[in-house]
Amino acid sequence: MKFNKKGIILALTIFILLVGVVGCSSKTVSETDKNIIKIGTSGGYHPYTFKNDKGELDGFEIDVWNEIGSRIGYEVEYVTSEFSGLFGMIDIKKIDTIANQITITEQRKEKYIFPTPYVYSGAQLIVQKGNEDVKSLEDLKGKKVGVSLGSNYEQIIKEFDINNEIEVVTYEDFLGSLQDVALGRIDAVLNDKLAAMTNVQKSGLDIQLGGEPISKIENAFPFVNNEQNKELVEKVSKAVEDMRNDGTLEKISKKWFEIDITKE
Amino acid sequence: MNINFSVEYFIGRFPEFIKFLPITLSLALISIVIGLVVGTSIALIRTYEIKILYPLSKIYVSFFRGTPLLVQLFIFYYGLPQIIPSLGGINAYTAAFLTLSINSSAYMSEIIRAAINSVDKGQMEAALSVGMTYFQGMTKIVLPQAARIAIPSLGNTFISLMKETSLAFVLGVSEMLAAAKMGSAASYRFFENYLAVGIIYWIITILFTYIIDRLERNMSKAY
Repeated sequence: MKFNKKGIILALTIFILLVGVVGCSSKTVSETDKNIIKIGTSGGYHPYTFKNDKGELDGFEIDVWNEIGSRIGYEVEYVTSEFSGLFGMIDIKKIDTIANQITITEQRKEKYIFPTPYVYSGAQLIVQKGNEDVKSLEDLKGKKVGVSLGSNYEQIIKEFDINNEIEVVTYEDFLGSLQDVALGRIDAVLNDKLAAMTNVQKSGLDIQLGGEPISKIENAFPFVNNEQNKELVEKVSKAVEDMRNDGTLEKISKKWFEIDITKE
Repeated sequence: MNINFSVEYFIGRFPEFIKFLPITLSLALISIVIGLVVGTSIALIRTYEIKILYPLSKIYVSFFRGTPLLVQLFIFYYGLPQIIPSLGGINAYTAAFLTLSINSSAYMSEIIRAAINSVDKGQMEAALSVGMTYFQGMTKIVLPQAARIAIPSLGNTFISLMKETSLAFVLGVSEMLAAAKMGSAASYRFFENYLAVGIIYWIITILFTYIIDRLERNMSKAY
């Protein structure tokens, strides 16, 4: 055995370990500070939440929360994670809420409390360009439809499809499902109307909207249901209402979308 | 499909991803070191069938080899703190390398155990006969020989471990693949992002392979 080479490898290892440890310790934030609100987001859902050219978190959700934060007197801190990890983080209090276009559903209401909705939208089918056959859930019978894992769209299909005639394919990633529909691996994707519109315009994929929106959707920020959060949720509700009334929400909406998505 | 591969954008991704290299590498290397220590201990427990610890180690290895890493990450980071609240204080980075360490230690223990078994029994007998203790025989005679045998398989484990660090994004650790996912979501340039990140992983693997090869050659010199 030659010790000089092992020595080099060992030194290299220790160096990299140190870089890692220093790198992560500088990121730890004091959790005792009460005026920080932690927002979980995927950072991979353009134009709601994404990393811009400068590598900073940007998008509709981020603008909305920066504004809410300054109105309720909280410093807003963002935590990015894979979408499927976000609800887990809320449960273990690593984050206070999620800004990732979360839809209010009955099931979610059992566990979480929501402030007033900040976005009104609908569930929309997206199909391959030129496909005029799929315009409603009815048309999906015997076909494959993609939904995002952990999203409410699977639920919409389950409620409609009592006889199990539609094959549901779940995706970790919304954009992955769009790629598949463009490639013809699945017949349609069910997702949010606005995200669908944006992606049809900007992704450059061979996709189009399939028919009219299927159902109405209200988006709000989920908070764990406890006494402490009830007060916070009231503050957030008030801030959202104020922002809607004084036109701030509309302004943020128009910055990212061609239409105002914040009114019913 | 319209293919418009932007070479400029593609090249621009590299410096972006390399920023996350310390996270990916440190996660992998910390996990390798802890995994090796724990894995070797388990291998010794199983080789010598130490009471109480032996059945426990069997369950440990069976569970961590028998469940996907993603499941383990979810259980460890999101599940356990709901039962043991004090675990909630662990940050995502720590949770990620602990889970990776535990997971890889299960695989490594099996490799090391097989390597120890493959060293001729006569070696230990000879060590004992010249007056060495059992412990000395193990550390000075058997383990060095076992290490030489184990290195190629351990190298494989290291490489898969390095790639598995990408799963840490489900816990919110922003590592290289997370940056690629976010990059492709913002720009709709999937091909450029994933190709760039793939090449970086590949280069790291080549470097790892080179180090492992050198190590293997050096350790085989005596033979």
